[in-house]
Amino acid sequence: MANLLRISGLTVGYRTSRGMVRALDDVDLELGSEEFLAVVGESGCGKTTLGLSIIGLLPPRSAKVTSGSIDYKGVDLAKLDPNEMRRYRGSEVAMIFQEPLTSLNPLVRVGDQIAEAIVLRRQRKGSDQRTVGEVMQRLYRTDKSGFSRWPRLRSKIPRDLRDQVIEWLNLVRIPDPGQVIERYPFELSGGMRQRVMIAMALSQEPALLVADEPTTALDVTTQAQVLRLMKEIKDKLGTSILLVTHDLAVASQVADRAIVMYAGRIAEDSNIYDLFSSPLHPYTQGLLSCMPTGTKEGSNLKPIPGSIPDLTLEAVGCRFQPRCPRAMDVCLQKDPTLMNVKEGHKAACFLYER
Amino acid sequence: MKDDDGMVLRTVDLKKHFRASKGLNLSSRSKTQVVRAVDGVSLSIPAGKTVAVVGESGCGKTTLARTIALLTEPSGGEIYLDGQRIDGGRESHREVYRKLQMVFQDPDSSLDPQMKVGNSISQPLKGLTGMSDREVRKAAVESLEAVGMSEDYFDRLPRQLSGGQKQRVAVARAISTHPRLLILDEPTSALDASVQAQILRLLVDLQKKYSLSYMLITHNIAVAGYLSDMMAVMYAGNLVEYGPCSDVMSRPRHPYTITLINSAPVPDPWKRNLLSVNIKGEVPSAINPPSGCKFHPRCPYAQAVCSEVNPPLEEITPGRWVACHFVEKTA
Ligand SMILES: Nc1ncnc2c1ncn2[C@@H]1O[C@H](COP(=O)(O)OP(=O)(O)OP(=O)(O)O)[C@@H](O)[C@H]1O
Ligand SMILES: Nc1ncnc2c1ncn2[C@@H]1O[C@H](COP(=O)(O)OP(=O)(O)OP(=O)(O)O)[C@@H](O)[C@H]1O
Ligand code: SF4
Ligand SMILES: [Mg+2]
Ligand SMILES: [Mg+2]
Repeated sequence: MANLLRISGLTVGYRTSRGMVRALDDVDLELGSEEFLAVVGESGCGKTTLGLSIIGLLPPRSAKVTSGSIDYKGVDLAKLDPNEMRRYRGSEVAMIFQEPLTSLNPLVRVGDQIAEAIVLRRQRKGSDQRTVGEVMQRLYRTDKSGFSRWPRLRSKIPRDLRDQVIEWLNLVRIPDPGQVIERYPFELSGGMRQRVMIAMALSQEPALLVADEPTTALDVTTQAQVLRLMKEIKDKLGTSILLVTHDLAVASQVADRAIVMYAGRIAEDSNIYDLFSSPLHPYTQGLLSCMPTGTKEGSNLKPIPGSIPDLTLEAVGCRFQPRCPRAMDVCLQKDPTLMNVKEGHKAACFLYER
Repeated sequence: MKDDDGMVLRTVDLKKHFRASKGLNLSSRSKTQVVRAVDGVSLSIPAGKTVAVVGESGCGKTTLARTIALLTEPSGGEIYLDGQRIDGGRESHREVYRKLQMVFQDPDSSLDPQMKVGNSISQPLKGLTGMSDREVRKAAVESLEAVGMSEDYFDRLPRQLSGGQKQRVAVARAISTHPRLLILDEPTSALDASVQAQILRLLVDLQKKYSLSYMLITHNIAVAGYLSDMMAVMYAGNLVEYGPCSDVMSRPRHPYTITLINSAPVPDPWKRNLLSVNIKGEVPSAINPPSGCKFHPRCPYAQAVCSEVNPPLEEITPGRWVACHFVEKTA
């Protein structure tokens, strides 16, 4: 698998009133083309920050990349200027955000938004040079009902494009797509907005898709459908996918490989089978025994004691040490780095130091 | 399911319909239409046991819970708590609220951010029981301790607590009146894996200690399996399957239950059920539900009769209830 993305020593902080929050601390990660990588870990461990760094959308005023590089096909994204970054974002990567409402334009009908994204995509690929304005007619119109209501911005979408939009909405199981394309984002439920976002991202046929908790707000049948769709797109177009999720079960179902994050660090990086059959890091082992399996009479459900550390404080020793059932003296003094334990399986833990 | 013996709660043909204007679309002429959120549910909850209520988003789980808890007036049917009919003002709400408490998904919206933890627990307790201030404080501290928090937290504000601690406070408040039945609406879905595990363990311990009954609403089949004795599956306002939790999970019989159980991700990369499950069709509209069996447009076994007649919930083997015309096909 050729490398698509290589992140080295990435450190990202957020400025807050309490001081600098170290959301990512010296993260090393490689992603192959056509790879399906899951990023798992508990709330606040830095999953979204990692995704935003890759797509170049860290909040510019509060976030700061203090060191490290993000090498994408030989270009260091951390050093691109905003214009180059925009071009990269438009043509190579797409992101599905954790909060869909913030990423849809509230004033434009969802059908128009998806159509526009598809036109832009064709333009960038060079398959159709026409601009959005040439393909779609922008009109101000009042509604037919006769009452003079708010003038609404509407586009006239050509038939073939409209069919494509409807097909994407069908693929993400939006009921009544022909009617939904006429609606504005606020007229959709949260789950529907999420699926519109997914359709829009997938319609971009990106080389790399960053999906941040794309199915957390959906119910299980829709979740199954959306995950299957992502997998199909990956197989068909050779897209690499970075799926952020806090659900290990979801990761086990779709990913080739997973990284487990803890407090801004990668604790374990492994192919998905080894992660479940022989988890190395005590945190991963802890997460696995937090999964409810079996029944209340016979189950080995074991919560991890304690809570996550304050990320504004400098870490001394291993970040997981205060909660770790297997901590040793060295864990108090030194900070473990991610090391190869066996082929395709890395962990940051002194238990595996040779 | 007609007997009140050993049942803490029983509903008979319970209905809750809402009037809703058609969509939010300003352009559509607003006509009032009826949302049949709960459309004839007969459900029993055995004392000291947990009944999980599962089903897809919008199928009416929360509405069922709120109707049972008398937080909203039923549109039809009967509700019995400990054999006493409680709907239609037959029993005082105060008495009902004392015996039946709810815990919601999001502790942030169920706890008043301005109110100290102690007051959050004491106020409803005082209102519902009429105990003296001293007794109320004692009972509140007792329930805080029951959820593994000390009296030290009495004067804290919700924002000074973690998500898991907030949910513990919500549970403490709910058990402070020594209820018979606790309705848990997605109690752990806003929580992290490790915190979820703590709350699940806590709920099991409390159930044993106080012989509580739970009605557990969840999307998470693994959580339902862990905590529940019985499982009730809802589809578009109806109960379509009911039976011992482990049986329903291992051998689902209603075609919808089969889809639901198969779409629940299992934490096992060698068993990739999720990518092979075949889900067709769309989620039914609550305003214009399909005729007959509401699942028929999505059902692989549907025949003509399915679009005409809504199948009743029938006992197919002792303790196992399914609403499907062709249940023998899934045997
Ligand atoms: N804009 C911001 N300003 C300040 N701190 C932030 C900001 N965004 C994130 N953080 C902090 O950075 C850390 C990592 O956050 P991030 O959102 O990456 O975590 P996450 O793993 O995606 O969590 P979740 O599962 O809750 O989405 C957290 O401690 C968070 O509070
Ligand atoms: N106050 C209300 N007015 C009108 N319709 C309502 C009202 N409350 C709920 N509904 C509708 O009733 C149906 C059932 O909603 P309910 O909240 O009970 O579903 P649910 O099963 O709890 O879903 P979720 O899993 O998403 O919480 C939905 O179609 C919903 O839109
Ligand atoms: S009654 Fe018919 S449509 Fe409904 S689940 Fe059974 S076979 Fe399917
Ligand atoms: Mg996040
Ligand atoms: Mg609900």
